[in-house]
Amino acid sequence: MSTNLERYSRQMRVPGIGKAGQERIMASRVTLCGVGALGTVLANTLVRAGVGFVRVVDRDFVEPSNLQRQVLFDESDVTGNLPKSEAAATKLRQINSTVQIEPVVADITRTNIEDLCRDADLILDGTDNFEVRYLINDVSVKHGKPWVYGGAVGTEGMSMTILPGETPCLRCVFEASPGPGEVGTCETAGVLAPIVSVIASFQAAEALKILAGKRETINRELFVINLWDNTNRRVKIAPLAGRKGKCPCCARKQFEWLDGEHGTQTSSLCGRNAVQVTPKGGTKLDLGELRRQLEASGAVSANRFLLKCNLTDAGEGYEFTVFPDGRAIIKGTDDVDRARTLYAKYVGH
Amino acid sequence: MAVTVDIPPPLREQAGGNLKVTTSGNTVHEVLDDLIKQHPALGPKLFDNGRLRPHVNVLVNDEDIRYLDDLGTDVADGNVVALIPAVAGG
Repeated sequence: MSTNLERYSRQMRVPGIGKAGQERIMASRVTLCGVGALGTVLANTLVRAGVGFVRVVDRDFVEPSNLQRQVLFDESDVTGNLPKSEAAATKLRQINSTVQIEPVVADITRTNIEDLCRDADLILDGTDNFEVRYLINDVSVKHGKPWVYGGAVGTEGMSMTILPGETPCLRCVFEASPGPGEVGTCETAGVLAPIVSVIASFQAAEALKILAGKRETINRELFVINLWDNTNRRVKIAPLAGRKGKCPCCARKQFEWLDGEHGTQTSSLCGRNAVQVTPKGGTKLDLGELRRQLEASGAVSANRFLLKCNLTDAGEGYEFTVFPDGRAIIKGTDDVDRARTLYAKYVGH
Repeated sequence: MAVTVDIPPPLREQAGGNLKVTTSGNTVHEVLDDLIKQHPALGPKLFDNGRLRPHVNVLVNDEDIRYLDDLGTDVADGNVVALIPAVAGG
C-alpha cells in the first residue's frame, strides 16, 4: 500500500494536527525501548498513526503470561519462541506497511543506548525497570531529545513527559529508583491490562503532540492514576526543574548511569550454569518483604543472610539466591541477558 | 488537625491494608510521625536514618513538598498528604 494520506484522514481532522502535522509525524523517527506491555500498545498506536520510522528494542522472548496484556502478540509467537521485537515487527508491518520498522533484539545498556537513540527524534519508554529509564534520561538530556516516561504495576500507573531544558527530567522528580525488592514488579504484584493501555495511550498522545510539532500542548505534570481505587492526580512538577541547580543529570550534566556509576553488573559463574547480578552503588534489601512478594511465584525460604526461591519462568526452572545487599545468584542460566531479565522481573530495580 | 494520608499500593500491607489513614499534625513531619506511630512497619519504608527515602515523593494537596518547605511544610485541617513512589513496571 502506498503512502496515502486518506488512511490518516480522521487523525488529520484533530485540531492541531492537520496535513502539516501528519507530514511531520510521517517524517519522524522514534526509538521504543522495550516492547512488552506498554511497548506493544505504544508501537501499535504509533505505527497506525504513521510515524515514519520505529525502532523496537527488547531483550526478551514472548511467553504465555504476556498474552493477557501485550497486545501485539498471540499464541503462535509463544510456540515459535519468538523474540518480542521480531514478533512485534511482523505484526506492525502488517498493520502499516508504509512505516519502516527496525527490530533490535538486545539488552539496552550504557554501551549501546546512544547508538540506539542517536537518530531518533523521540525516545519512548516501554521498559519495566528504572535502570533503563535513568539511562534513557541521561541520553535524553545529553543529546537534547525528548522522552516520555510511563510505568504501570497492579492497577496503578504514572507518566510524565520530558523535554530537556524545558521540563524537569526524571531525576528532578524521582531522585532515586526504588531499590531491589522495594516495590512490586508485574510478576510479583500482578498487572491489570487496562492500566497498561491507559498509561501507554497517554504516552502515545504525548508522543504524537511532540512529533506533530505541538510541544506547547504537552502534559507538564506527573500524571498518576489507579483504576481500582478510582483515583487520579496531576502533580505539579514544573518547580522541580533542575532542583535548584542540584539535579545531577539536567543541572550538573553528570550522566551517572551512562557513565556506569550506577546500574547493575552481571557475571556468568563459569561451569555453574549461574549468573551473578550485582546492583552498583549499594542497596539495602528487606529480605522479609521480598519473601512475601516472591511467595506467589515459587517456593521461598529465607534467613538473616540470604533468601532462596525456586521458580519457573517460561517453562524453565531457576533458583534465586538473594543477599541483603541486592546481589543475586540466578541458577539455571548462563546467559547474562536472561539473568538481568529475571532479576528485573522478580527482584526489580 | 485531621490530615488524611493516601497510602500507595506498595505500602498498604505495612499500613494494615488501608488506602487512607487519618493522622494529626501541623507539619508534614508531624503527620508522618503520627502515621508511623499508628503503623510502625511503614517507618523503614519511608525513612532511612531519619531522612526521607529518595524514591518516595511526598505531596500536600498534590504539590511536592520539595518546592514547599520539605518535611517542615505546614498542613491544615482537611489537607491530603500523598506518598508517591515511582512506578517501575511496564
